Amino acid sequence: MKALMSLGALIGVAGLLLLGGMFFDIVPSTTVRLVEGYMPIQLLLEVACYVIGFTGLSYMMNAMGMALPRFWQGIGFWVFLMVYLKYRVYPPIPFSVRAMYGTVGLVTVFMWISANEEDWTKFKQPILNVLDAQTGGKRLLRYLYLVLLPILIGGFSFNAMMPKSEEPIELRTVHPAPPASTKVHGKTYTLQTSQNPYRVNPEGKYDQEFSNANIVEQGMGRLMKPNANPWDDKNQGYLKYVREGGEIFFQNCHFCHGDNLNGRGLHAFAFNPIPANFTDPGTIAQLQETFIFWRVSKGGIGLPNEGFPWASVMPPWEQHLTVDEIWKVVLFEYWHTGYYPRTWD
Amino acid sequence: MGLLVGKRVFSIVALCMMVGLLLLPVVVALPSLAIGEETHAGDAAKKDGDKVEKGRDVYYKTEGIVSGAPAPKTTDGVKDYPRYNFESRVLLWFANQQHLYYGSFVLAVPIFCMIIEFMGVVTKDKALAKRYDQLAYDFIKISLTAYSLTAILGGILIFTFLTLYPAFFSYLSGIFRPVMHIYALMFVAESGTLYIYYYGWDKMKEGFLKWIHLSMSVVLNVIGTLLMFLANSWIGFMMSPAGVDEQGRYLGNIWHVIHTALWNPLNLHRILGNMAFGGGVVAAYAAYKFLASKTDEDRAHYDWMGYIAMALGVAFLIPLPFAGYWLMREVYAYRQQMGITLMGGLLAWLFIIQATMIGILFLSTNYYLWQAMGRMRGAEKYQRYIKYLVFLLACGYMVFITPHTMVMTPAELKAMGGQQHPVLGNYGVMSAKNGGINVIITTTVLSFVWYMRGNKVSTVSWAKFGNIFMGVFFGCAYFNIIFLAVYGYYIPANVRVGLSVPQVATTLSCLFFMFALNSFMMKGAKQMGPIEWGKISARSQYALIMLATAFTWMMGLMGYIRSSVRLFWHVNEIMRDNSPWAYTHTVGFAANMISANVLFFWITILFVFWLGSLTAKKVPVESKAGIPGSVPQPAPSH
Repeated sequence: MKALMSLGALIGVAGLLLLGGMFFDIVPSTTVRLVEGYMPIQLLLEVACYVIGFTGLSYMMNAMGMALPRFWQGIGFWVFLMVYLKYRVYPPIPFSVRAMYGTVGLVTVFMWISANEEDWTKFKQPILNVLDAQTGGKRLLRYLYLVLLPILIGGFSFNAMMPKSEEPIELRTVHPAPPASTKVHGKTYTLQTSQNPYRVNPEGKYDQEFSNANIVEQGMGRLMKPNANPWDDKNQGYLKYVREGGEIFFQNCHFCHGDNLNGRGLHAFAFNPIPANFTDPGTIAQLQETFIFWRVSKGGIGLPNEGFPWASVMPPWEQHLTVDEIWKVVLFEYWHTGYYPRTWD
Repeated sequence: MGLLVGKRVFSIVALCMMVGLLLLPVVVALPSLAIGEETHAGDAAKKDGDKVEKGRDVYYKTEGIVSGAPAPKTTDGVKDYPRYNFESRVLLWFANQQHLYYGSFVLAVPIFCMIIEFMGVVTKDKALAKRYDQLAYDFIKISLTAYSLTAILGGILIFTFLTLYPAFFSYLSGIFRPVMHIYALMFVAESGTLYIYYYGWDKMKEGFLKWIHLSMSVVLNVIGTLLMFLANSWIGFMMSPAGVDEQGRYLGNIWHVIHTALWNPLNLHRILGNMAFGGGVVAAYAAYKFLASKTDEDRAHYDWMGYIAMALGVAFLIPLPFAGYWLMREVYAYRQQMGITLMGGLLAWLFIIQATMIGILFLSTNYYLWQAMGRMRGAEKYQRYIKYLVFLLACGYMVFITPHTMVMTPAELKAMGGQQHPVLGNYGVMSAKNGGINVIITTTVLSFVWYMRGNKVSTVSWAKFGNIFMGVFFGCAYFNIIFLAVYGYYIPANVRVGLSVPQVATTLSCLFFMFALNSFMMKGAKQMGPIEWGKISARSQYALIMLATAFTWMMGLMGYIRSSVRLFWHVNEIMRDNSPWAYTHTVGFAANMISANVLFFWITILFVFWLGSLTAKKVPVESKAGIPGSVPQPAPSH
């Protein structure tokens, strides 16, 4: 047990030093990088390591007779969490989400320090000591709190009420519910049941399994499958349509959506918000192919009411492309990102 | 002897009456169901000179004889939408929500009574059996007062419909005409059964008569459940209409109208939700009484009552997210548009609030259990591991509430470089959220297991192996849940949806298998000390009150979400809402409205509790004799 706790303490100290070093540029801030593709689970594992580290540290300090009071343990951990979220994660997390995490952190720290009577008593003791003010120092502290707390609350209230010159926050619906059907070039498509006519097997029949087997691999590198190179002239059918879709994409779409389909095109940063990142698992991977067909055809101007504030400058591509071209572009986007269109079977 | 025979005859007659009452609506309805189609068809044929008009069912796609008028095309005016100088929808919202709160409560509490009374009957310890019986009686007493209020609120709701939405109500009652009176008769049956059940309590408290009395509670709950199913068919019809053609004309098959695409998932979700809600309310009642208690004896009683109610409520809370998942799956299958509006579009933020509330429920439950371990001697050995459970809960909760589309200022949006955050955005999708909630539920199961073995040491020869096995089982469960959540990003969406099945199976395996194994291990276990009922922290009772408030708030929220997903339709794609209020409220307004409803409910239910306390039945002396400390812990049985 002692060996395990010592190891934990070592992890804790090393982790804190590393984190501090990266914050203050003592070591390069990329010493421990959040690796694309694994970042979400890496983040959780890192926090888990710190929890283990702090447990070990607490155990060792206790064993050495230098126990950190439970009061400061609780507050210290919460402050660590907030600092970690603010400075470790890049790009910066919006305040609203940090506020949510901060509240959860505060609640769970409370649950931890009050889970049993002994811990709760330990936690309350410094507060009660100040309130009781048996010594001169504590009495001074109590008067300080009496003055500082109202000022602090007043300051927060003033700050909250003060008119701001910033643009207001947006609660944007990025993927508004599509209509039941859409009319493009005079033909009506039912979004629930329509299919991409170019997602076909060598027999010319609609076959999602066949196309799924020929998309690029997900994960690092997004490599093409063997014998599934659309730019090989010998390939016909599905892969040929992917190639044609790719040509249309690079003639029309990549200026904004980027040559890696990640929303970082040549003109992307002229827009706010920047164009959709198709490599994000929260965009086309979550949607039916017909949804993309509808959005591409109708563009930003065709967004429904719930798409307020209609922050999309994408043109209605039905005015520039044929129906077949739109379907082929959609086919290419799924092929290139390695995602499968959503289905409901 | 003669008296006993008399009571027995009385009991059997009462039970037969109840069954008769239960069957009455069905008997009355049979002729109308049987001849309804022909009569309507006949009427229609006569009017059209023997020409029968047929229509196609919008959902079942079957052909049927048109037997009703089309859905009215309403216009904004006093004819279709008479109004006070106030938003009619808000008035209806309020009346509906209050009726639903009380309806849920009075449907849930008799199910609790049935379970607790049954536990009392089968328990061998006589003192404990009497306490269970007294507890069941206390529950039904509260329910009785609430029942009258439910009926009053039901009346107010109907008047609100009639006065503010006459065209819509007329259409809906026309469609459901064949079962409207069945519904009313079911109410008669429910009332009659409830009164016989309540007033027959003392007369049927021993032996065979007690079993008859218990059977009555089964009949009572069957009636209550059928009542709820019928009420659910209306909202099911409004969301996913069936049994009518495109113009909304009834096609003569009432079963199609009732059995819509969403009826079954709604039924299951509401049964579980009502039970969890009922448990929460009773637990809050017990917590309030505990905090107000002046004697150790009272504290012990209400501590125990709160624990039982909480355990029953949570037993139904655990499968609730899975039932909700099934409902959402059916919604997507019915209309993709509706599913996206709910979970990815206009109402998505309300789902984040819902996730927050679900998390609060589980966190409160875990916190209560950890506090409850404080009243057991010997449970200290688990206390030092609680921080790891807190960590698991916190991680699961943070992932579960992370929004897919974050609220941010344009400056933050620019700094982030896109709408989706590359790290946290991944927590916003279903795969991660399934992992999050399953981690939370599995941790709750683990807390329960610790609580159940808190003051015991297993004496079975294979105790060491059993402990290791349980540890490995939970470890593997966590690994499996998290692995599937990560793996979900690398497979097609339709396969990913299917991954929820092994995740749920893992969680439920922990629940059932670990509970069973733990019970075996703790059979004849050495007791480190008694459970000292009443010696629990006040914080635990606030956790129970928090649990109940969160249940109430969440019910209000989910009701609003379910209703507003129809957007500008009274009946989805059949009857349009042309009133001036056919828009979706802001999240802030909806939250305030839900809070107002919750506040009103709690004020009125406190009144109901107070009324109940006025007629407080004297607790038999012997039933209190064993408190505190001498009562065997009830935890392992539920």
